[in-house]
Amino acid sequence: MSDLSSPADRASPTIRCLLGMLGTDVHNKGIRTLAQMLRDHGIEIIYLGEHNTCEGMTQAIIAEDADLVGLSYSSSNYLDYTRQLIDTMREQGVGDVPVMLGGLIHPEDSDALRQMGVSGIFGPGSKIEDILDFIHRAVGRADEPAR
Amino acid sequence: MSQLADKAKGDKLVGEVLAGSIRTASRLISRAEACDSSITPILKQLFCKAGDPVLLGITGPPGAGKSTLVNQLIQHYRKHDKCVAVLAVDPSSPFSGGAILGDRVRMNQHAADPGVFIRSMASRGQLGGLAKATGDALSILQAMNFDVIILETVGVGQSEVEIVRHASSVLVLQMPGAGDGVQSVKAGILEIGDIYAVNKSDLPGADKLVTSLREMLQLSSKMHPWLPPVVAIQANTGAGIDRLVQHIGEHRDSIRSGGEVHASRARERVRYRVVEICRQLLNESVFSGAGVTDTQLSAIANHQQDPYTLAEKLVGVL
Amino acid sequence: MTKPKGNKDCEAPSEQVRKDSIEGVKVALSRTKTWGGMETREFYSSPHIDSDPYHAKNGEPGQYPYTRGIRPSLYRKRMWTLRNIVGYGSPEDTCEGIREALRAGTAGINVVIDALSQQSIDPDHPAFGVEVGAEGCSLPSARDMQRLLGDIDITRSGVAFHSTMMTYPLVAAAAIRQGKALDRIMGSHMPDHLQLNLSGWGNELVPADLCHKTSVDCIEYCIRNSPKWALGFPQGYDLRERGLPPHGEIAVGMAIVNKTLEDLLERGLSIDEVAPNLAWVSSADIDFFEEVAKFRALRRLWARTMKERFGARNERSMALRIACHTAGNSLVYQQPLNNLARAAIESLAALCGGVQSLETCTYDEPVCIPTAEARELATRTQQILANEVGAARTADPLGGSYYVEALTDRIEEEARATLSKLEEIGLLEAISNGTIEQICDQYNMDVERELQQHERVIVGVNAHQPEQVEQPERFTFDRSHTEAHIRRFIQMKRERNQEALHDRIITLYQVAKQGGNFHQAMIDALLSDGSIGEVWGTVRVAHGYSYDPFNVIQTPFVYGA
Ligand SMILES: Nc1nc2c(ncn2[C@@H]2O[C@H](COP(=O)(O)OP(=O)(O)OP(=O)(O)O)[C@@H](O)[C@H]2O)c(=O)[nH]1
Ligand SMILES: [Mg+2]
Repeated sequence: MSDLSSPADRASPTIRCLLGMLGTDVHNKGIRTLAQMLRDHGIEIIYLGEHNTCEGMTQAIIAEDADLVGLSYSSSNYLDYTRQLIDTMREQGVGDVPVMLGGLIHPEDSDALRQMGVSGIFGPGSKIEDILDFIHRAVGRADEPAR
Repeated sequence: MSQLADKAKGDKLVGEVLAGSIRTASRLISRAEACDSSITPILKQLFCKAGDPVLLGITGPPGAGKSTLVNQLIQHYRKHDKCVAVLAVDPSSPFSGGAILGDRVRMNQHAADPGVFIRSMASRGQLGGLAKATGDALSILQAMNFDVIILETVGVGQSEVEIVRHASSVLVLQMPGAGDGVQSVKAGILEIGDIYAVNKSDLPGADKLVTSLREMLQLSSKMHPWLPPVVAIQANTGAGIDRLVQHIGEHRDSIRSGGEVHASRARERVRYRVVEICRQLLNESVFSGAGVTDTQLSAIANHQQDPYTLAEKLVGVL
Repeated sequence: MTKPKGNKDCEAPSEQVRKDSIEGVKVALSRTKTWGGMETREFYSSPHIDSDPYHAKNGEPGQYPYTRGIRPSLYRKRMWTLRNIVGYGSPEDTCEGIREALRAGTAGINVVIDALSQQSIDPDHPAFGVEVGAEGCSLPSARDMQRLLGDIDITRSGVAFHSTMMTYPLVAAAAIRQGKALDRIMGSHMPDHLQLNLSGWGNELVPADLCHKTSVDCIEYCIRNSPKWALGFPQGYDLRERGLPPHGEIAVGMAIVNKTLEDLLERGLSIDEVAPNLAWVSSADIDFFEEVAKFRALRRLWARTMKERFGARNERSMALRIACHTAGNSLVYQQPLNNLARAAIESLAALCGGVQSLETCTYDEPVCIPTAEARELATRTQQILANEVGAARTADPLGGSYYVEALTDRIEEEARATLSKLEEIGLLEAISNGTIEQICDQYNMDVERELQQHERVIVGVNAHQPEQVEQPERFTFDRSHTEAHIRRFIQMKRERNQEALHDRIITLYQVAKQGGNFHQAMIDALLSDGSIGEVWGTVRVAHGYSYDPFNVIQTPFVYGA
C-alpha cells in the first residue's frame, strides 16, 4: 500500500488536463463526454467549456499549470484557431505544453496541424484507450521539475 | 546537486513569486499539491513575506452560485483596481481520483486579465471542502501582493469547518430551496459564517430565507461583537453585490481594529496550520520508510509489538 | 377537419400528379396505386371504429388527438415541403445560393446563418474574424438582411430561417425598408431561446431568464403584428443533437412550450391565437420505428395539452404541425456514403410519422459544409421516397402495428414522467441549475459507454470499419465577398447617423430595463443601422449582463444611470 502515497505520487503526479473550445462553436457534447471519461480514469480536468479566446485560454494554461491542453472542434476553423492559440502559448512561454485536438478533424489537415505543434489528433471514432495512452506518454515527456 | 545551488534556485523562485510571477506561483502550487517537500524552504521564506490581503472564504451547498458570485466579486474589485486571486476547490472522484474542475468556467470573463489569478484545485481525498495543499497555496498567494484572495470550497452543504481554519472572513452562501426556509439551513452553518448571503433572490422563498437566517443568527451569536449580516443577492446579474462587498469591508475593518475574538481566531488558524504540517511530516516519514523499518512493521503486523508505542516514538523524534 | 382559412392547398384536387402551386415542383404525389398496381386508400383503420378503444385513444387521421396525423388525406391533399439548407459567406453569396436552389426546383429554402450572427456578435468583433461567413451567412444588420432577400417579395414567398436570436427583428426591419406591411410578411424562424441555452450556448451567452423573456416577447410581437409569420417552436431538433432520447425531446420541448404559453396567455393572448402559428421543430434519428412512434406520441400529447390544459377550441391549435430535419448526429464520418442510407431511412421515418416539412441531411455533413452534389442527392432521396417508395400515399401507414403502438404509448408515458419532474422543479430552475444538462450528459455518457462496450453498434464507428475510404471533396468558397462584407459593415457603422441611432438605443435600453416588450425598439434601432451586436448587447446590459458575452469589447453607448 505504501507506494500509493506520497513518494510514488511525486514520481507520477496526478495529471492536470485543460479542456476547452475556442471561438463560437457550441457543440460541446464531445468535450463534455471526454471530460467525464478522463475523470473516470483518474485525470483532473480543468474544464473551460465553450467560447474561449486564445488569450484567455493561454492565461488559464499558465495559471492552472496544466500538463496538457485538449481542444475540441466541430466547426471548420480549427486550423486558424489552433495556430493562433499555439502562437499565443509560445509568446507567453508555455509553448512546451502538449496540445491535443479532437472532433471533426480531417486527416488531410494532420500534417499542417503537426507542423504547428499539435501532438495528438483524435478525429471521429477515436478510442478512449488511445487518448489515454497519448496523454500518459505526452505528459511523461513534458514532466520536468519546476524550471 | 549541491545545497548551495539548491538555495540559489530557491531564492530565485522566491524572488519571482514576490515579483508577482503567476507562472512560478502556479508551478509551486502544483508542487505543493504533489506533496513535494523540497519546496518547503521556499514556502518558509514566502510565509514571512505575506502581505495583508482580504482573505475571504466562500462556502455553501452545491449549485448555490459560489463560482458565479466569485465572478461578480472579481468584477467588482477589478473596477476598483484591486488584484484578485482565487483558489477554487472542486471534489475529486472517490473512485478514480480524477476530477472535473468546473468553477473556472463561471469566471471565464476574467481569463485574460493579468490582475486576476484563478487556480482550480481538486480536493484529492481531503474532507471538509478544501484541498490538502490549500495552506501552502495560500502562503504563496499571500506573498504576491494580491489585494483580495478568495477561497471557494467544494459544495458539500454542511460541516465546512475547514474554511474557518484558512480564511479570515467566511461568507456562507445559501439559496432558497424546496420547503421551509428554516429546515433548509443546515446545522453547523450558523457557527461558521461572518457574512451570510442568500443567492438566487429571483427565486421564490428568498425573502423568507433571509428573515429566518437573521432570526437564527440573532439567537445564536449574542456574545460576539460582530453580528453576521444577511444579504440577498443575485449572483448572475450582480444585484446586491455592492452591499455584500461593503459588509466584507466592514468585517475586515472589524478585524483590523483588533479585539480578542479576532486575535484568538487568528491564533487558532495558525495552530491548526501547525498541526496540519506536523501531520504531513509524520505522514511522509512513516511512508517514506525514513522513520520506520520493515522489521518494525512486521512485528506490529504479528502483534508482537503495538502501533501505539511506535507512533509515540515517532512523534517524540519530531 | 376544418379548412385553414385561405389555404388554397387544402382545396387542391386529391388525384394523382399534382403540382404544389405555391411551392413549386419539389416533391409531388405521382401515384396512389402500389408499385404492383393495387389502388390504395387515404388511410386504413379498424372496421369496428365505434367500439374500439384504440380508436378512442388515437382517433383517425385528422381527428383529435391527431396521433395518426393532422389530416385524413395527409400528403394526398398537401405534400410535405422539401427543404434545403442554404447559407454561407456574405449575404450576396447566400442570395445567389437561394436563386440557384430555386432554379433547381427547391421550394422550401432554409437559410442558415453563421455562428457569430446567430449569437448576435458583429463580424468586426476582434476575437472571431476567422468565423465570419464560415458556416452560414453573415447577417449583422438590416441592410444585410435586405441584401440576402434580394428581390424576393416576402409578402409572397416565405423564407424559413434556421435561426433564433434577432432574426425576426432583422426581417421586420428589412420588410419595413422594402415598404411592406408587417402583417403581410411570410416565412418563419425559430424563436426558442431557452433551447439555445441548453444546446451548448450556456448561461454566459444566453442567460435562462433573458432567454425566456425574449422568446415570450418575440412570439407575442409576431402574433400581434405578423400573423402569417410561422414560428418553429419549440426547437426540439437541437435538443436531440445535444443528447436526448425521443421521449426527452418531447418532455423538454413541452416544458418550454407550456411555460411560454402560460406567460403569453397572461399577456392577454388566447391559446387559439398562438398555438396555430407554432410548428414543432423535430429530429428523425436512425431508429426507424421509435421515431415514427415519437411523432405519433408527440401529436397526441400536444393535442391533449392544448385542449385540456390550455382550453384550446380551434382544431388548428390541437393538430400539431411538425418541421423535421434528419438527425445530423446519426451521420458518421467513417465511410460517409453510408450516410445516404441513414438519411433515407430517417426521412422515411419522418414521413411515416406524418411531418409537414422535411430537410434531409447531406451525406457529407459530418465531413464538411455540404457540397452541391451532396445537396442534390438529398433532394433525390426525398423524390425517391415520394414517387417510388410510396411514402406519400397513405396517412399513418404503421398505425395499428402492435410494435409501433406500444412504442407510441411508452414514449408518451416516459415523456409525461420527465415533463412532470421538470415542471415540479420549474423549467427555468431546471435549466439554470443544470438538471437538464445532466440528463443530456448522462445520456451521452451512456451512449459512449455502450459504444465502447459494443452494446451499441454503429457501422464504421465501432464495427465493420472500412479498409480505406476516400474522403469526399470538401466544400470551399471564395472568401473575398466576405472580406468586402466586413469592410462594408465597418463603413456603415462609421457613416450612419450616430445621434439618431443613439436615441433609439437609449429607448431600447429603457424599454428593456423597465421589463417591457423590447421588440419594437429593437426593430427601430436596426432601422437606424444599429448592428445585431449593438442591439442585443444593449438588451443584455439592460438586464444586468455584460454587453459582450465574451467580455472582449465594451459598449460604445452611454446608457445613463
Ligand atoms: N436563478 C439564478 N440562478 C443563479 C444565480 N446565481 C447563479 N445561478 C445559477 O446557478 C447555477 C450554479 O452556479 P455555480 O456558480 O456554478 O454554483 P456553485 O455553488 O459554484 O456550484 P458548485 O461549485 O458546483 O458547488 C448556475 O447555472 C448559475 O447560472 C442567481 O442569482 N439566480
Ligand atoms: Mg463552483
